[in-house]
Amino acid sequence: MAKHVTQNLALAFLAGIVLLAILAPVLPLPDPIAMDVMNRHGSPSFAHLLGADEFGRDTLSRIAFGARASLAVAFIAAVLAGVAGVALGLVGGYFGGWPEILAMRPLDVILSFPPMLLALLTVALIGPGTETLTVLLAVLFVPTYARVAFGETLSVRHHEYVEAARALGHTAPRILFRTILSNVAGPILVQFSLVVAACILLESGLSFLGLGVTPPESSWGLMIRGARPYMYQAPMQLLWPCLALVLTVYSVNRVCDMLRDRFDPKAAVLWFPAPRKTARAASPAAVPAMGKMLDVRGLVTEIATPRGVIRALDGVSFSVRPGETVALVGESGSGKSMTGLSIMQLLPRRVGRIAGGEILYAREGAERSGASAAAAVDLARIPAARMRAHRGQEIGMVFQEPMACLNPVYTVGFQLTEALRAHGRMTKAEARARAEEELRRVGIPDPARRLNDYPHQLSGGMRQRVAIAIALCGRPRLLIADEPTTALDVTVQAQILVLLDDIRKMQGIGLVFITHNLGVVAEIADRVVVMYCGQVVEDGPVEDIFYRPLHPYTRGLIASVPQDGGSADKSRQLFSIPGTVPNPLDLPPGCRFAPRCPEAIAACTKAPPAMEAAGAGHQVRCIRWREI
Amino acid sequence: MTAPLLSVRNLVKLYGGRGGPFSKAAAAIRAVDDVSFDIASGEVVGLVGESGSGKSTVGRTVLRLNEPTSGAISFDGEELTRATPARMRALRRDMQIIFQDPFSSLNPRARVEEIIGEAVDLRGPLPRGERRASVVRMLEHVSLSADHLRRFPHEFSGGQRQRLSIGRALAARPRLIVADEPVAALDVSIQAQIMNLIAALQRETQVAMLFISHDLGLVEFIADRVMVMYLGRVVETAPTREIYRRPRHPYTRALLAATPSIDPRAARARPRVLLRGEPPSPANPPSGCAFRTRCAFALEACAVARPALRDIGGGHQHACLRDDIDTPRV
Repeated sequence: MAKHVTQNLALAFLAGIVLLAILAPVLPLPDPIAMDVMNRHGSPSFAHLLGADEFGRDTLSRIAFGARASLAVAFIAAVLAGVAGVALGLVGGYFGGWPEILAMRPLDVILSFPPMLLALLTVALIGPGTETLTVLLAVLFVPTYARVAFGETLSVRHHEYVEAARALGHTAPRILFRTILSNVAGPILVQFSLVVAACILLESGLSFLGLGVTPPESSWGLMIRGARPYMYQAPMQLLWPCLALVLTVYSVNRVCDMLRDRFDPKAAVLWFPAPRKTARAASPAAVPAMGKMLDVRGLVTEIATPRGVIRALDGVSFSVRPGETVALVGESGSGKSMTGLSIMQLLPRRVGRIAGGEILYAREGAERSGASAAAAVDLARIPAARMRAHRGQEIGMVFQEPMACLNPVYTVGFQLTEALRAHGRMTKAEARARAEEELRRVGIPDPARRLNDYPHQLSGGMRQRVAIAIALCGRPRLLIADEPTTALDVTVQAQILVLLDDIRKMQGIGLVFITHNLGVVAEIADRVVVMYCGQVVEDGPVEDIFYRPLHPYTRGLIASVPQDGGSADKSRQLFSIPGTVPNPLDLPPGCRFAPRCPEAIAACTKAPPAMEAAGAGHQVRCIRWREI
Repeated sequence: MTAPLLSVRNLVKLYGGRGGPFSKAAAAIRAVDDVSFDIASGEVVGLVGESGSGKSTVGRTVLRLNEPTSGAISFDGEELTRATPARMRALRRDMQIIFQDPFSSLNPRARVEEIIGEAVDLRGPLPRGERRASVVRMLEHVSLSADHLRRFPHEFSGGQRQRLSIGRALAARPRLIVADEPVAALDVSIQAQIMNLIAALQRETQVAMLFISHDLGLVEFIADRVMVMYLGRVVETAPTREIYRRPRHPYTRALLAATPSIDPRAARARPRVLLRGEPPSPANPPSGCAFRTRCAFALEACAVARPALRDIGGGHQHACLRDDIDTPRV
């Protein structure tokens, strides 16, 4: 990739410059301050590879020694500023209060002066020189570090591992330097490279003005100053130090980007190529089965991760009838949420894609008449624009975190009327009246007043009710609810479950309820689809699943839930499934549950089991369901 | 009866409320409002409540990770609120905490050996080899192994990280552990593993524990005694069996009724008694009984004075004015 080539070039150039600077005294270079007036502005020759300057001094040699001055000043200043700034930032961020004021406020004073102005002032007072310059630059850049360290410390301080260190009885210095410092080091290192680049520029600028490095010592700024009056006679003499300066600063910044990528793994995302229009041709005349409004068949969804492509869904099939509640149950990584997002075409752009299967959806009334091809759509294949029209009006969605669909800067009323007007033409007044009605339908007391509230003024339960109202205001026939009660308290959860169930009954909508909570499933579901590692492992009516579970995973899940029973026996154990969910990049061959399954036999690890019918509407993906 | 290991009296923790020169004074949030309880050596006390009930704040304040606003906390006869910082640091090794989030409770830049070793160090400096052996023993205790010594936290699953947290807490050989929702962030199948581990280690080491959770099933599994909190106050406390069989406070009843059961027929058959509304803001709690705004049994008297915890025998206390509510739990 081009990015890597320039990065490596930058790294190589920087390494070369640093080496040149370090080795300058031992390299066979002419003396950088030996004048040779006869050779003023001499052209390049073997003795003087880059020619000579206005005093006949060797340009290459002066560049090398100039690099020594520039880089030394920049590095030393950056390190000094770093040590002081990080210490101040850590202390200010960790302790807060008075230490924060003492550590951070004086720095604001430094920041309020333009750096160049402050530098000019100081040099004018103290006089130029390399040491003055270094100290000055260090002071100038202390605030930059301090602010970064302060901000990072503030965010790290609230992590529980810092609390844990306090709970262990560690002293504040130990917590600061051993626990916090290592966790804020990344951004500080990035800051370091930025400061080095800035110091190089500032040093050159000051030297150019005659306020930095003093002649006859060499510095790039001084060289530019020397060459400037003769820029028409000897333009090359101006070019070389400028080139050195520009390339060095560019390289430092480039390396800085590299560091940033390294320390911020979130920045590195693997993307799928942009989808080709013809990639997935519509399958001819696929219609949902009789009586089904949603019929998902063999759905395959892939997710690109930095470590490879994951099959988040691998042949998922299930169906929903009008007025039916289907629960998708599973643990993290089972693919239950991915299924909801796939149906809604809400997979993260170019990170997730549907790679196979069908999501057949029958429009109004079509499921009864046996679904002609015209009334059915394959949501896995329709273009994004058509999907947008389906969202909200055919299928609504509710998320775990209601703030996911509520905009914090608009009132509830504004957001709800916007949604209503997107679904049908109406005046503002009409929309407002409808919005009030919609809020009343989801059990919000005093809806007219609530319309003027912002989302943050509502409690968690009220927010979820508003989110449900927005999802339902386009009168969808199918509602997908992804862990809608997980973030709520049990007493509020009970209210929301009743609300969703009442809405389903009254409007006859299909409800896909995604959850990890088996108790919630038992309360609300008609059918249960149990998922594990991107596959459906069992699918059946709710009573079959809870009273006659067939798959060992389903049994294990149900047995893991603590049930009321006498706690007199202190030695009792909860049933638990051993082991952990396998890595999606390294799935076991055969049955994906086999490594954790108490009933697994040799055949289980040989070939992946298929779904088998095990009773009326009950299917299971286990080769041993008859025996166990 | 011997003196309790931990004794908390009239604990109050306010948040905010002081307006600075540039901000107007906001009403203080009474996160913990006059809470008293004891934990005996080797006892497991379950602390139950919904979000905002102040249950986590109680846990942190007891360890002085948050400074209490007022009240007394005595640990093994020593008053913690008056302990100097140095004395407090020394006392901390006897009191450990297990956090909810297995991802933020372990230092991402420290290896396992360092994470557990830090806690081992609290028992006094050990030679390198012995320290490592001690760390490995602790890892094996929590079903990890010596292979994990050089790993970083991000190389572990959520359940394994929680094992590390438990190992770190136990490595200091504390006498009291505050477990703050230790399995709430884990998958169901892993929850059971970790609960079994906590219960087994507790039995083995006889460490006293304050087990904080919103999950009544988990608390019933592990606790000897249960306290129920609502809006910063303890509304009921009783031995575990008693409180689940004969809950007296209307809030405890509502909480038990709202907990979904995994029996679909029973879930559908039972009458749907829903609690109205949501907890009021702790910045502005109702007068008298904090629960009265949502309580189906509230009287006028409930608004007048704050009901105190009343002892009804057998270690059962509740803070409800009424004794005549006796709808049995379904």
